[in-house]
Amino acid sequence: MRFWQLFWTIWLVVAGSSFAFITLMVTIKGGKDLRQMFRDLSKQLAAQKERDK
Amino acid sequence: MNFAAIDWVIVAGYLALSMVVGIIGKRYIGNVSHYLVAGRELGIYVGIATLAATEIGTITYMYNGELGYKYGFAAFAAALVSGLVMIIVGRTGFVISRFRALKLMTVPEYFEVKYSRGLRIVTGLLVALGGILNMGVFLKIEGEFLTIVSGINVRYLVAVMTVILLLELVYTVLGGMVSVVITDFVQYVLLSVATILVSVYAVHYAGWGRIVEKVTQTMGQAGFNPLVNPKFGLTFIIWQVLLWFSLHTCWQTTAMRMFSTKSPETSQKVMTWTGFIFLGRGMLPMLWGIAALTLYGTGAINNGVPQPVVNGQTLAPIDAMPAMLAQLLGPGIRGIVVAGMLAATMSVNSSYLLGWSSVISQDVILPIRRALGKGALSSRKQIFVNRAANLFVSLFLMFWGLYYTPPGAVYLYLNITGTIFLAGAFVSVVGGLYWRRSNTTGGYAAMLLGAAGAIIPYFFLHWGENVTGFAAFGLAAGGLVFGSLLGRASPVEVPKAATVG
Repeated sequence: MRFWQLFWTIWLVVAGSSFAFITLMVTIKGGKDLRQMFRDLSKQLAAQKERDK
Repeated sequence: MNFAAIDWVIVAGYLALSMVVGIIGKRYIGNVSHYLVAGRELGIYVGIATLAATEIGTITYMYNGELGYKYGFAAFAAALVSGLVMIIVGRTGFVISRFRALKLMTVPEYFEVKYSRGLRIVTGLLVALGGILNMGVFLKIEGEFLTIVSGINVRYLVAVMTVILLLELVYTVLGGMVSVVITDFVQYVLLSVATILVSVYAVHYAGWGRIVEKVTQTMGQAGFNPLVNPKFGLTFIIWQVLLWFSLHTCWQTTAMRMFSTKSPETSQKVMTWTGFIFLGRGMLPMLWGIAALTLYGTGAINNGVPQPVVNGQTLAPIDAMPAMLAQLLGPGIRGIVVAGMLAATMSVNSSYLLGWSSVISQDVILPIRRALGKGALSSRKQIFVNRAANLFVSLFLMFWGLYYTPPGAVYLYLNITGTIFLAGAFVSVVGGLYWRRSNTTGGYAAMLLGAAGAIIPYFFLHWGENVTGFAAFGLAAGGLVFGSLLGRASPVEVPKAATVG
């Protein structure tokens, strides 16, 4: 039982810390990704309008 | 009522922000590829946010909390399998990178690329059936969480959930995947903050030493070792490995995120990093459930665990975790947590609405039209059909979701309803991508036997979930192999890319 206690404690620490770390990274860098997505979609829309003319 | 004025302000502010950013997405919808896969322009970070937000809902917290309450630390095995399998899929690109290279928009679309239009329609019907039944229990359970934590009178449950569903529906119908991605980003940040806050509160109030002691005292070895816990064991773990490989590759809402990324390499990175989030997605709410057992597990023993008693009232194990939050969280924090849970609810529901309605429109309605000899629809008309399918799924959910109660543990009900199509779809996809001999006869046999293997044992023979899961995957695999060997070899080679999108 002692082995499993230790095993799950380690995994819980790994899970909690990676959850917090990735959340931080996504919060900081996700905004830039979103702006890039808007720019790319705008280009696609402009190209589509050109084709439809 | 547990809510203070500050809590209402936080929740109302979040709802207003979600609606505004969601409606922005409509500007970027020019064709069906924008509507369903955001023009395939997702980068890594926003990809992680939308994939994680899609698969973390209040329903996830509720069923994982229930597992933690009932089975202690042994339940962590399910979370560990889900996260590790996701990391393996991401690192190897198993299925997902080939799927992304094919430029698909839905999973059943692959069945027409590799097998036949008829099989695409059959798969589409099974995917929609399994997916909508799966989603059917979300609203009621999410509503339970919100009413318990906020203290809203249960009489208003239907009205509250209907309003939330309508809000999600507005931005999903208008802006499709683009709106869903934008709102998912906001919702992911909020739900993650709430998750971290609740985890800190739960451990602080219950105390780590007391948590371990309570599980030891109540469940003994079975509370820690999944191999000796009668609910789990080796068969459960093997079934979970199979199930999670199929979920991370063939589950429509997950696959749509992979289809929406900029490249196969981006899809692999998104999957790998989200795998680490999946560890916390399971283990943290399970820990909240164990903390609720520690604090409130004082009632009569039922199925080996004491029932939760809060303020003199005996509750179901699934309600112990939200009841704990209602007791522990103070004004302001409670508002942030409920806004976070609402965010989780809305991100899952909007993605699932889009996912299942896209299957109904793209893989059932449109192929049937083509089979009847009617011409292809323009992109604008396809978007209209998708929006109509979205409304249909929402209406179904309002009536089914608020009144149906699943039997047994919710997590296992969700697993089985998912298996209805996942067993056959996963086997047919893997066979189609990696085994040249697989053909349409094998595909039909896999889909139909996989569905029968999930429905008949579980709903009619009342077998356990593990055995049902094995039956479904075993029958599907047998069906694909024997069907393919008996039928003619498929003359169609897998093309480099699908023709649509």
